[in-house]
Amino acid sequence: MQASSSNLSNRAVVLILAALVVVCGIGPMVWAISTSLKTEVDAVSAIPTLIPSRITLSNYLTVFTHKTFLIELFNSVLYAAGAVAVALALGIPAGYAASRFSFPAKRAVMLLILATSMVPGVALLVPTFYVLDHLGLLNNRLVIVIILAARIAPQTVWFIQNFIEAVPIEIDEAAHIDGASRAQILLKLVLPLIRPGIAAVAVIGAITTWNDYITVAVFAPDSAKRTLQVALVNQVFDAVGISWSFTMAFALISSLPVIVMFVIVQKWFIAGLTAGAVKG
Amino acid sequence: MLWFTPVVVLLLAVSLYPTLFVIWMSFQKTRYYDLAGFVGLANYIDVLTSPAFWETTYTSLAYMAGSLVLSLAIGVFAALILNNLGRTGKLLRVVTLFPWTLSMAVVGTVWLSLLNPSYGPISHFLRQLGIEPGLMLGDPELALWLTILVTSWWSFPYVMVIVTAAIQSIPKELYEAVQVDGGGWRAKLRHVTWPHLIPTIGSVALTLGIQFLTLITLLIVLTGGGPLGATTTLSFEVFRGTVQAVNIGPTAVLSLVILIANIILGVVYTRLTGRVSA
Repeated sequence: MQASSSNLSNRAVVLILAALVVVCGIGPMVWAISTSLKTEVDAVSAIPTLIPSRITLSNYLTVFTHKTFLIELFNSVLYAAGAVAVALALGIPAGYAASRFSFPAKRAVMLLILATSMVPGVALLVPTFYVLDHLGLLNNRLVIVIILAARIAPQTVWFIQNFIEAVPIEIDEAAHIDGASRAQILLKLVLPLIRPGIAAVAVIGAITTWNDYITVAVFAPDSAKRTLQVALVNQVFDAVGISWSFTMAFALISSLPVIVMFVIVQKWFIAGLTAGAVKG
Repeated sequence: MLWFTPVVVLLLAVSLYPTLFVIWMSFQKTRYYDLAGFVGLANYIDVLTSPAFWETTYTSLAYMAGSLVLSLAIGVFAALILNNLGRTGKLLRVVTLFPWTLSMAVVGTVWLSLLNPSYGPISHFLRQLGIEPGLMLGDPELALWLTILVTSWWSFPYVMVIVTAAIQSIPKELYEAVQVDGGGWRAKLRHVTWPHLIPTIGSVALTLGIQFLTLITLLIVLTGGGPLGATTTLSFEVFRGTVQAVNIGPTAVLSLVILIANIILGVVYTRLTGRVSA
């Protein structure tokens, strides 16, 4: 009897602590949503409230009708989609070769990929800016796509390599005997088998590049080339004119694609996060 | 080799070439974005003998250490708690993980609003408790602590998810053995869970350490490196040096300091986990 009542109270403590964790975790986002639904006056009231006295969607409408919103959205989509496309186009053959071929220079190539993954973007800000400036390539959309693609390329190669390693090599061998070329084997046989993996790696890459601020802010400062993330940060710099309800609506809209992607692939996302780190 | 060529070309051009270039830059006399000839170690001596560099390094280390301790503590705690809740816990973990996917720009903006000294809910709450919140992020004494708090809020779910996976990979038999010996949850935690978590916590700490070392955007949004340089880390200084471009030689040296620190952490990570991807 005593054991079960202490179990019960243990259970209650666990539930309370779990609630605390979840509230701490998502409470700030609830606040952001609440602020985005407030009127501009309510958002700066001396006594902050979680539930707006008047709920309004006008902030969201203002975001969508904001004069630069569409171009920023376009740039965000272009950079993220472009970078993922480039990374996949280059990473899939490399991942396949890493899994299936062995040749003398392979070790050197894999080492290069590992080494570049350890070079932080921060350390390359100054030299990259210098070079782009001298080549007249600042504010160039293609350059941004390429830089972002290089950022996600190493992880793309490793993920694809791991996925392909899970595909039995007998499939390749059988097709090879039937006269299929390497490219045919990869495109027609192997790729369809690892499609979910490719979707996951694409989404993780898209989230990374969509969320980037520094690359675009430094290498494409032109207002016509900037992304939603850059526009968001610029609102914060505008210390006098900031409207919190508008900014929160803007922040949430700019996060929406990431949230949707996360919900769709959360299983793989978590698997991807844990794959590297957990080892007994 | 042909299959690798495109990705190798990309990495050579975008990563390796600028890496070599920044090394060369660090030995050049510079003014704004002009390179004016070889000066040997002058930039290094400039940087390493300036008190500002050591203050910035100290801030970086304090920021990294503080954020690591706090996010690991909360993350492990959250993992242990939610792991008791079965399916519900799984759902709650997914919900709690979602801030980790948000951009630094969004995280920074939301917290700037929460921590606003005049009409933010946190200052209001503190006032209700009879504590004068002061300038919050504008307070040189508080700014670094609050930045650490925000960073940990963003990164603890990552710790939680990975530690949970590690907890779930522990064989059930070990817990049963402790039970047979009459041990309670304390004994299980101490003799089974904890020793199994140590390697995972180590690799998570390295991954996050690299993130915190190179993180800039959150600092740009929350404090802009201020107030009075209280949150100016090495990475933030490199960002400022790049966009202000008064003299890029010393900025190149700082870039290399970060690069070397990152490579050391990265190599330790690779050795420790035997894996290459984070």
